[in-house]
Amino acid sequence: MTQQTTQEIARPRLGSADTVRRLIWYGLVGLILIWCAAVPPAGGNLSLYFSLMMWVTLATGLNFIAGFAGYMPFGYVAFYGIGTYTTGVAVKVLGLSVYAAVPIAGGVGVLLALLFAPTLRLSGIYFAIVSLSLAIICQRLVSLLPEEITGGSLGINLGVVTVREHGYYSMLLVLVLALLTASWLARSRLGKALKAIRDDPEAAEAMGVNVPRSRLFAWLLAAVFAALTGGVQAWFTGALDPQTAFDVLITAKTVIYAMAGGLGTVLGPLVGTVVLVWVDELIWRSFPVLNNFLLGLIIAALILFVPRGLVGSLMQRYPRVRRYIM
Amino acid sequence: MNSVLLINGLLGGIVFGAVYALIGASLNVLCGVLRIINFAHGEFIIAGGFFAYVMLTFLGFNPLYTLPIAAAAFFVAGYGLYYLLIPRLARSDEPETSSFLLMFGVSLMLVSSMIWIFEADVRPVNFSFDPINIVLFTVEDAYGPGRDGRVIVPTARLVALAINAAIIIAMTWFLYRTLPGKAMRAAIMNREAVQIVGIDIHRLSAWAFGLAAALAGVTGVVMTLVVPSIDPNGGADFTLIGFIVIVLGGLGHPVGALAAGVLFGLVEQMSNVLLPQAAAQMLGFMILVAVIFLKPAGLFGLERSR
Repeated sequence: MTQQTTQEIARPRLGSADTVRRLIWYGLVGLILIWCAAVPPAGGNLSLYFSLMMWVTLATGLNFIAGFAGYMPFGYVAFYGIGTYTTGVAVKVLGLSVYAAVPIAGGVGVLLALLFAPTLRLSGIYFAIVSLSLAIICQRLVSLLPEEITGGSLGINLGVVTVREHGYYSMLLVLVLALLTASWLARSRLGKALKAIRDDPEAAEAMGVNVPRSRLFAWLLAAVFAALTGGVQAWFTGALDPQTAFDVLITAKTVIYAMAGGLGTVLGPLVGTVVLVWVDELIWRSFPVLNNFLLGLIIAALILFVPRGLVGSLMQRYPRVRRYIM
Repeated sequence: MNSVLLINGLLGGIVFGAVYALIGASLNVLCGVLRIINFAHGEFIIAGGFFAYVMLTFLGFNPLYTLPIAAAAFFVAGYGLYYLLIPRLARSDEPETSSFLLMFGVSLMLVSSMIWIFEADVRPVNFSFDPINIVLFTVEDAYGPGRDGRVIVPTARLVALAINAAIIIAMTWFLYRTLPGKAMRAAIMNREAVQIVGIDIHRLSAWAFGLAAALAGVTGVVMTLVVPSIDPNGGADFTLIGFIVIVLGGLGHPVGALAAGVLFGLVEQMSNVLLPQAAAQMLGFMILVAVIFLKPAGLFGLERSR
C-alpha cells in the first residue's frame, strides 16, 4: 500500500517535469525550424547554415549509437559516404530524380548497417578499430569500381540538380526528423533499454532486455541519418569524390561535436555542434594556418577537462537542470 | 610474372616488415602497459623522420649518428607527454575510448605543426651509402634466354634491416631479461596486481610511454633509410598499419607484434606486385577485420577477454 501511495504522489511530479522538459525541447526545435527556414528568404549565408544543420544531424545520429548504446563507431563516415555515392550514382547513372535518390540513399545506408551489424558483437576499442577499417575498405572499394559508375578517384560531378534552396530545405527536414527521433528515443522504452545495455550489458539482459535487437535498432537509426545527410550533401554541393566522402575527419568532427555537448543527452549534440562550428568559424577567420592545430587542442582539452561534455557536465554539477533539459 | 620481381617483392616485404614490426612493438607497449590506443603514433614516426631530416640538412649528421640522439630526445618528450596527458585521462568514464580521441587531437596538433614548420610538401632526405646499391645475386635467363636478371637492393635498406633487427633483439632482451622489462610485461598482464607487488605504476607507465616514443622516433629515422622522403601527412598510414599489426599479433603481446609485422610487410609488398594498388591497400584492412572476428586474441595471442 505504502509503495502505491508513493507512486501516486511521485507520478504527477515526474509527469510535470517531463512536460516542462518536452515543452522546452519542442519549443527549441520549433525555433530552429523557423530560424533555419527563414535563412534563404532573408538572404543569409546558405552554405554556413547548411553545414551547421549537417553537423547537428550527424552528431545527433552518432549519439544514437555512441551516446545511448555506448559504441564508438570510428567509421561512422562509411554511412555518410555511401549516402553521397548512392545519390550520385542514382542521379548521374540511373537518371533518377534527386527527390527519389536521397530516400534510396537512406535505404542503402540501412542495408550497409545490416551488413556491418555483426561488428556489434565486438566491444570497446576492437569495435572502434574494426569500424574504422570498414570505412577505409568502403572508400577503397568505391575507387576500385568501374569509372562509368563511381567515376574512380575523381568522383562524380552532379552539377546543379535543382534550385539550391531545395537541397537546403531537405537538410532542414532531415535535421528536424533527427532531433525528434532523439527526443522520442530518450523517452521510449528502447532508449532506456539502450542505456541499460551501455551501463551493464549482462544486467540488462538479466532484466529481460533484448540486447542484440535494441542495439541493432540504434545502429540502424544512426546509419540512416548519416546516409540521408550524405545524400542531401551530394545534392547541395553537386560534387563528390572518394577522398572527401569517406574522410576520417568527418567521423572525428562528428564525434567531437557530439562529445563536446555531451553524449547520451538529447540536447548535447545540438549544443556541442553549434558552439564548436561557431568556434571553428572564428578560428578559420583569425588563424587559417593553425585551424587544425586549434581543433586538436580543443579536442584534447575537452577530453581531459570536460569528458562529459558541456550539457553532460552541467547536468552532473547541477542536477536540477535535468528538470528543464533532456 | 618472373622470379626477379617476386624475389624483389619478398625482400621488400622483409625490409618493410621489420619496420612494421618495430611500429607494432612500440604501439603494443603503450597499448599493453597503459591501455592507451595511440592514434598519434604515426605522427611520432613522421616527427622522427623530420628529426633525421633536420639533423642531416642543417648539422650534416648521418642518420646513423642521429639514431641515439633521436632515441634520447623522443624518450624525454614521451616521458613529459605522459605526465601532461595521461594521469588526467584515467579519471574519465571510459579511458580506452577517450584515449583514442585524445590522441586523435594530439595527432591533429602534430600534423598541423609539422605542416606549419616544414610546409605540406614531401621532403627528400638526401643521404646515401657508397655503393648506393648492392647486387645480391643474378638470376640466369630471367627475361628469356641470355637475358639475366639481377636482384638489386639499396644499401640503405639493408642497413635499415640490420638496425631494425638489432633494435628488436635488444627490445626482446629488455622485456624478458631485465627487471624493468619484466615489470612492463607484468603490467601488461595485470595492472592491478603489479601495484600490489609494490611497483609504482605511474613511474612505470611514464617509462613505457617514453620507451614507446623513443622507439617510434627511431622508427622514423630508420624509415628515412628505407624510403628517403618524408610526407607530413603520412602519419595516418603508419598508425593504421600499427593497428593492423598489433591486432594481428594480439593486443598487448609484444613479441606477437614482431611476427605479425613481418607477415603484414610480406603480404603488403607481395600484393603490391600482384594486385592493383587500391586492392593491395584494402587487403590489409580485410585481414584485420577477418582476424578480429575469427581470432580476437590475435594470431599469436593468448586467449583473453575482449
